[in-house]
Amino acid sequence: MFASVPSAVLVGAEGRPVSVDVHVSRGLPGFTMVGLPDTSVRESRDRARAAVLSSRLAWPSTKITVNLAPSGQRKTGSGLDLAIAVAVLVADEQVAPEAVAGLAFVGELGLDGSLRSVPGVAPMVGALGDVDVVVPVESAVEAHVAAEGTVRLIGHLAELVAVLNDSMPWPDHDRTERVDTPPPVLPDLADVHGQPLARQVLELAAAGGHHTLFVGPPGAGKTMLASRLPGLLPPLSKRLALEATMVHSAAGIPLPSGGLIRQAPFRAPHHTISMPALVGGGSHGVRPGDVSLAHAGVLFLDEIAEFAPSVLDGLRQPLESGISIVDRSGSHAVLPAEFLLVAAMNPCPCGGGAPGDCVCGDAAIHRYARRLSGPLLDRFDLRVNVHRPDVDDLIDARPGEPSAVVAERVLAARSMALARQGGLNRSLKGHELDEFAAIDASARDVLRAEIERGRLSARGYHRIRRVARTIADLRVDDHVVAADVEMALHLRARVGGEARGRAA
Amino acid sequence: MTAECGYLAALAGFEAMTTARLGWLLADRSAQEAFEIASGAVAPPAPIAALFARSPELAARWSDDASRRDPDRCHEQCRAAGVAVVRAGDPTYPHQLLDDPRRPPALFVRGDLSVLDARRVGIVGTRNATQRGRETAAAFGHELSAAGVVVVSGLARGVDGAAHRGALAVEGSTPVAVVGCGPDRPYPAIHTELWGHVAQRGALISEWPPGTPPDAFRFPLRNRILAALVEVLVVVESRERGGSLITAREAAERGVDVFAVPGPLRSKSSVGTNMLLRDGAAPATDVGDIMLALGLDGRRAGRSRFDSRPRPVGVEVELLAICRVEPATVEQVVLRSGRALIEVAMGLARLERSGWLRESAGWFEAIEDWADLA
Repeated sequence: MFASVPSAVLVGAEGRPVSVDVHVSRGLPGFTMVGLPDTSVRESRDRARAAVLSSRLAWPSTKITVNLAPSGQRKTGSGLDLAIAVAVLVADEQVAPEAVAGLAFVGELGLDGSLRSVPGVAPMVGALGDVDVVVPVESAVEAHVAAEGTVRLIGHLAELVAVLNDSMPWPDHDRTERVDTPPPVLPDLADVHGQPLARQVLELAAAGGHHTLFVGPPGAGKTMLASRLPGLLPPLSKRLALEATMVHSAAGIPLPSGGLIRQAPFRAPHHTISMPALVGGGSHGVRPGDVSLAHAGVLFLDEIAEFAPSVLDGLRQPLESGISIVDRSGSHAVLPAEFLLVAAMNPCPCGGGAPGDCVCGDAAIHRYARRLSGPLLDRFDLRVNVHRPDVDDLIDARPGEPSAVVAERVLAARSMALARQGGLNRSLKGHELDEFAAIDASARDVLRAEIERGRLSARGYHRIRRVARTIADLRVDDHVVAADVEMALHLRARVGGEARGRAA
Repeated sequence: MTAECGYLAALAGFEAMTTARLGWLLADRSAQEAFEIASGAVAPPAPIAALFARSPELAARWSDDASRRDPDRCHEQCRAAGVAVVRAGDPTYPHQLLDDPRRPPALFVRGDLSVLDARRVGIVGTRNATQRGRETAAAFGHELSAAGVVVVSGLARGVDGAAHRGALAVEGSTPVAVVGCGPDRPYPAIHTELWGHVAQRGALISEWPPGTPPDAFRFPLRNRILAALVEVLVVVESRERGGSLITAREAAERGVDVFAVPGPLRSKSSVGTNMLLRDGAAPATDVGDIMLALGLDGRRAGRSRFDSRPRPVGVEVELLAICRVEPATVEQVVLRSGRALIEVAMGLARLERSGWLRESAGWFEAIEDWADLA
């Protein structure tokens, strides 16, 4: 008469265990579902009923009550279908309660009784803890990533009932490769001819985790450069890999064949993106946004000045705290969002170019630059002008170092920073700079001269010192010297016209 | 009693008032009579009546304007702005304009028109000039002024402004500006001070009365006056389409010698000047070329400025040489010199600090010793 089967739902990128309780009793035939189901869960009834009938089983023609506990929490998604169907069968005494003991169920049902995968199987399975989980065949990779108990793969409801009732062995659907296939080849830095400054900037961004702004005309290779950044970042640590995998699973993005995401992800949303799509949210539950999908990787915003200002402001909290918090009346989700921000923009509306090529008025340039708010602009430690390479220079230039070589230096520099201050150089604050990135007298003179000429502000001063620290790290040197500071001074393009001598 | 010039200023500011229409109105009449005809107070004579017949709304608009533009107030406005009104036929009216097919019937002038009696060279060019273009303009302006030649330009951004600054740097020079709005309306605003200096030392000329806004259509018209006033016109930099090419055409129509400063083929700012050279303009590579065209001996007008910047040393010499060929980015300098990025970056930074280079949007341009005027 009564059955309870464990399952899970997804909130943001986290699984929450849900107990599906079903009571079947005499009374007017009917189906009631309580426990704050949303529409997608409510529709479960019709899918479950059709799937049960298609599997040559009986659907009880009595009063059925389904409760999704904890009842106070809103539930979304179709992943509860299988658990509801199984619980109904157990409560109707078509399946023995002992047969389902120690099992949890996640999956969507088709009307013909087949099982379909749902987004977020990895976090949901992870939330279920030490039980055997029954999931659709297609979700094998995701389930294996997070499962503590055994993963049981099932293709059809009839197949499952046969296993439970007739003590058949679990079918062997497992097609997942146990060996880690080599990760897909990322774009390599060796393809970048010339552009020594831009290469240096990528290396610095990777080593210090500095947010980077490329300013340059169309065709300068801003997108090409940014897409090579993930290849310079070290493989993800176990913790980050798991977090990134959970987020991707929750967003319904197919995982690599090995299951875990080990390479830094690269996300490049279009500038028409909405706020929920960028920081997470949506009308049906909370879907991770691009800031979370870029967790532990690179978020590339091409044409950043074309993004809606309100959308860009949504970046400020993730940039500040490394998480994205999505609050809705029924749910509160915290999503990981620690990414390296790379943005690109034109110097002016016309695209600019060599001196004298620009046709924009001062006012137009000013308006264009103002689309980036000051607080956001402050986040970019590295701001560089990139230029369309000359044909001659392209032909003459030798192919640059491949990513693998640069990545080794990056790893060494990151290890230095980690050993020294326990974090990346981008998060060095004022007093930490004095402690970990002390500069010698000659470097101080260079900076003083810049400040005295009104070309360096207090904020800019700290940015320059952070970047100089990373430059020294890449040389594997504990001391920041004048040359490092000089180089760092080259990496702060002015945004917004030629205001001479403006501090940056 | 309102002075004649009040009526002129009022009349010239009418809506849809053109050079030709103003000419018909003023034909053999006093400005007061012309004003009365335009306002409809007096029956219009033949050419004006025909004009009113062709454009039916014009009479109504002009009578409207006549009630808005009070001659007394216009007169007061001119006086307050120090603007003299000169009518074609007045003794002070520039004789160079008298025979012009489209001579302006009236000029609004700040300063002294008699400076136009000297030798006159026009220097014009694009507003979006390169550092090098502005320096060239400043150098020409300075050296021509030093040789006693009056520099005529348009007080616009870029080349025009640099030419005026170069000219003003010579003590006792009397530069002339022809502008495209009211002589009391400095445009662009950053040139407010420059306007004042030109008006004080030389002359600032406009076809339009005080208060006229800088509408786009006025600038090509201004260019014909500039072209008519000079003996030689030098185009320093110009884009593929630009006001300076209009000036050059107007100058060629009037038999004025047109010079163009050659520029790099790839530079957008030199497309127009290179086109002029192809079409037969004379190349101006230094001020001597222009002096020769004026029949003056340029040798005495040598540069007399002292360069106080510290001499570049070591690698800086090489880097500066690269940037002198054409503006270059850090990356280009690295590739062209074959030196390490950090070495180049430090060298360029030193050169910039000592005033040999100027950085804008990542491009490094060599600065010659006219930079402070450019």
